[in-house]
Formats: sequence, structure tokens, C-alpha cells
Amino acid sequence: MKRTSRTLLVILLGGAICPSWLLAQSDAAALFKSKCVLCHGEDGSGNTPSGKALKAKDLRSDETQKKSGPEITEVITKGRKTMPAFGQNLKPDQIQQLVAYIHHLGKK
Amino acid sequence: MPSTEKQMSTGNSNIQRLPIKLLVAATVAVFCAQAAYAVPSYSRQTGLPCASCHYAPPELNAFGRKFKLEGYTFTTKAEISDDKKDHNSALHLLEAFPLSVVFDTSFTSTKAPQPATQNGNFEFPQDVSLFLAGAWAEHVGSFVQVTYDAQADHFSWDNTDIRYANNKGRLFDKSLTYGVTLNNNPTVEDLWNSTPAWGFPFISSDVAPSPTAAAIVNGSLGQDVAGIGGYAMWNEHIYLAGTIYRSEHIGGSQPNPGTDFGFNVRGVAPYWRMAYQTSSGNNNLELGTYGMHMKSSPGAITGLEDSYTDWAADFQYDRTLPSLKNDVLSFRGTYIRENSSLIASFNQGAAGFVSHHLNTAQANVEYHFGTRVAATAGFFDVTGTADPVLFASAPVFGSANGSPQSNGYLLSLAWWPQQNVDLMFQYTGNLRFNGAATNYDAAGRNANGNNSVYLLARFVF
Repeated sequence: MKRTSRTLLVILLGGAICPSWLLAQSDAAALFKSKCVLCHGEDGSGNTPSGKALKAKDLRSDETQKKSGPEITEVITKGRKTMPAFGQNLKPDQIQQLVAYIHHLGKK
Repeated sequence: MPSTEKQMSTGNSNIQRLPIKLLVAATVAVFCAQAAYAVPSYSRQTGLPCASCHYAPPELNAFGRKFKLEGYTFTTKAEISDDKKDHNSALHLLEAFPLSVVFDTSFTSTKAPQPATQNGNFEFPQDVSLFLAGAWAEHVGSFVQVTYDAQADHFSWDNTDIRYANNKGRLFDKSLTYGVTLNNNPTVEDLWNSTPAWGFPFISSDVAPSPTAAAIVNGSLGQDVAGIGGYAMWNEHIYLAGTIYRSEHIGGSQPNPGTDFGFNVRGVAPYWRMAYQTSSGNNNLELGTYGMHMKSSPGAITGLEDSYTDWAADFQYDRTLPSLKNDVLSFRGTYIRENSSLIASFNQGAAGFVSHHLNTAQANVEYHFGTRVAATAGFFDVTGTADPVLFASAPVFGSANGSPQSNGYLLSLAWWPQQNVDLMFQYTGNLRFNGAATNYDAAGRNANGNNSVYLLARFVF
């Protein structure tokens, strides 16, 4: 097989078998950007002027990373202190995407 | 046409046809800042209290500026939504209708009563505003205000800013938020409280006389123009914005015949804005520049034109004080230089000569005791070309020597027993008014005769 055709085949196969978690990650990133970045910043640190104004938590911190999935789910759903509740605005699967994304922030 | 009174000149023959009451009302309104507000529908939409976005309404903190920058669309509340799929468009519609109301009632007393009028005026209401303010779609939001003014006894269209915003941009691997704005007042789309539309004083008496002269970018065009513009914030530091305006006379007929209006934009009037913001620890600093250029024909849409060019600089510094329970100390200021060439006004006999300039300096310092009390001291200073035709003599509102020079100070104390209830005392002291400290109007009125005590009760819901 010519090199070009092999390359194209690899690309096509790679796209076909692309793990669903990768696609979900991009959805979660987009969701995080639209709902969370305003307070927690792109890196989740909360170290932005708007984040500091609201005393947003550093999502990469041990305090946040040690929380279980259900604990983070509850915070997102019901809010906590200065953080509003997102339970009316986000579907359960969206919240779970965010939980996974937040845990992923701690691994960066 | 002078860049003094909203829509009017005392020397213009067209304006002389206008009711005197309207002339007086416009003169009083000129130097007063636009009344500015917190909007509860944003609070309902976000689930956040007013204090999340404001030091004290309408002053925005960093989070409030971000909320505005991103198009007033951040929400945590229920939406009727549909996903974008195949050939179908998405939908993100707030379940709660984004409506708010502000009710202002006030008392004004001046040191000297205006001739043949009663001093000590209770306005109930002074004004009532309705706001359509919130997310309209996923990336589209609004600040739309309609105000009932008790003296005029009718509703009128007020500050409007409808915008599309997108925070997902990247430029040189740094964040880029960009948007488009439709608005009707230069600087209404701005994020800081150092530019005219949202600057101090945040509300003023509509009874006490105020200085006549004002630059075009300093409120003279509010709700008399409509514009489309764009803006961008790069890397959370550099803000650029620009809007082009055309005349849009509220209450005027369309197509615009130009008669009975002091400003009729010829072509388009561009507004520009550049600001740099930075934060470090408990400090937020903004330094910026803005300006506007306009060619206009007074009372006409053809023929000779007046030309105005405004250049301005501004700053805002907010310092949070952790040792004082996170109280905030704010410093704000702006300087505007206007150069004008009043060829049309001169030709109409409304100006004594063609070339004029006007300098405006305003600054204030404010201490926020949490969100409960705000104490502000500010000063203003206006100087410029004296022109006895442009700034003609008239009782109370005119100038005996044709000078626009005015300066003075304001002291304000606002108490917010609730975040949506404001009780305010404001004192305005005039050191020089329309060109002089004493007998400024050639009818025996002194500048300090216009000193005023203004008491306000504001309810926001």
C-alpha cells in the first residue's frame, strides 16, 4: 500500500475507534467553559479577578480532589456558600461530565 | 450646535420653537450622570445575590464585569432548551421572564430657590424603570431599560445594550472573549465605572440645575443615537471596543427629517475604546482611553456640519481591604478633551465663532463598608472656550460671560439596608457655575445657589 493510502487508512481507523471518553471530554470541556470558567477560571484554579471576587475554590486543590463524585455532584446541584445551584440548569449526565472533568483537572 | 445640551441650543432658531419646559429639563439633565442600576433579573437568572457582581450597585466588581463582558448570559436556572442537531437550531430560553423594576422617590432642595418656583421638591416617584435584562439566547443577552419620568409624565426608551458574546475564542493561545453590541449611548457598553454612562454620580436630582456644557461622549447623545459595535477582551487584560452611531431620535419620526433636533449625525459617528486591566492580590486596576468623532447638522440633515472630536482617558482602581472585613476602596477618574468646529451652528447664529474646545475632568473616591454603606466624594471641573452666543445669558441656566466653566464637588452617603433597597444622601456643591461664582446668569444667581441636598429612596425588585 502506498504511504499516503496507509496514512489515510490509519487516520480513518483512528477516527472510527476513537474512544468515546475522548469525545465526552471535549463535551465536558465545553460545558466547563460555559458554566464554570466564569468563576473558577480555565484551569480551575479560581485565580482570576472574577474568581477572587466570588472566592471561588481551586478545583485542583486536595480539598476538592478528595471529594467523592457524589459530594461534588451535590455541590454542583445544590450550590454551596457563594456558589449557586446548577441543578435546575444542568441535566444529570452533564453534571456527571463536569464531575469527571473536575477530577481530571487534579491530574494535570 | 453646541455639545452642551441634549438635542438643544439656546441660540438655535429651530430650538426656540421647542417648549421652554423641555429646554429646561434638558439643561438640567445634561450634566447629570445617567441614572444607573442593579438589575434583579440578573440575580434571578444567576442565582447570585447583587453583591456577587456589585460593590454597591451599579458599580461592577471583577465578576460583574465578566458577566457583562460575556453578554449577560450566565445562568444557573431552568431553561427550555433544545440541542443543535442536523439542520435544527438550538434553543436556550430562560423559563423565568427577565423583568425587573426600579422605583425611585426623592427630595431635592437647593440653597436658593429657582425664580418663581417652590423649593424643597418631593418627587413620588422621581422615576420608575422597567428592565428587560437577561439572557435571550445562549450567546445573546440584554440590558434594556424603559423609564417613566414623573416630570414628563410618560415612559421613554432609556439605556439599551443588546449583545452577542462568545467566550470560547483563542488568540496567540490566550483567552479571547468577543462580542457585538447594539446600543444607544456611547460608553453604555463599557465595563468600568470611570466612563460617563456608568460613572459617578450614579444618580442625580432632576430638579437641581446642573452645568450646561457637556462633551458629546459625556451623555449628550444618550438615547438620541443608535449604534452597532464590536468588542473583545484578550487574555483578561486588553479590552478593545468600537461602535458606529447614527441618529435615532426617540419620539422622532422616521425617516429622520432632522428638524427640532440639535444633533443629526451625518454619515456615522465612530466611538472607540481601549482599556488595560490587571489584578494582583487585592488590587484591581484599569487604565484606558476612549473617544468619539461626530459630524452633525443642527436641525437639519443636509447642508453645513458641526464637527466634534472627543479624546478621553480614564482609570479605575479598586483595593480590597482584608484587614477591614474586605471593605473596598475605589478611585476613579476621567478626563475628556473635546475639539469642535461649529461651522453649521455659526452659520445659523447659534455660535459666535467656529473653533471651540471643552475640557472635562471628573474624579471620585469611594469607600464601601461591605455592601451595606458606600461613602463617596467626587469633584468635577469643566473649562472651555467662552462664547457668549453659544453659552448665552439666561436666568438660572445661562451664562452671563459666555463661559462654560463650572466646577464643584459631590458628597454621597448611601445605605443599603437590603441589597435591593438604597437610601441615599447626596450633596452637590458648586464653586463655579456656567462661568462664574457670583451672578453667573446676569440675573443675580450665584453658583452656590444651585448647591443641592438630594435624598433618594430606591427600591429594586
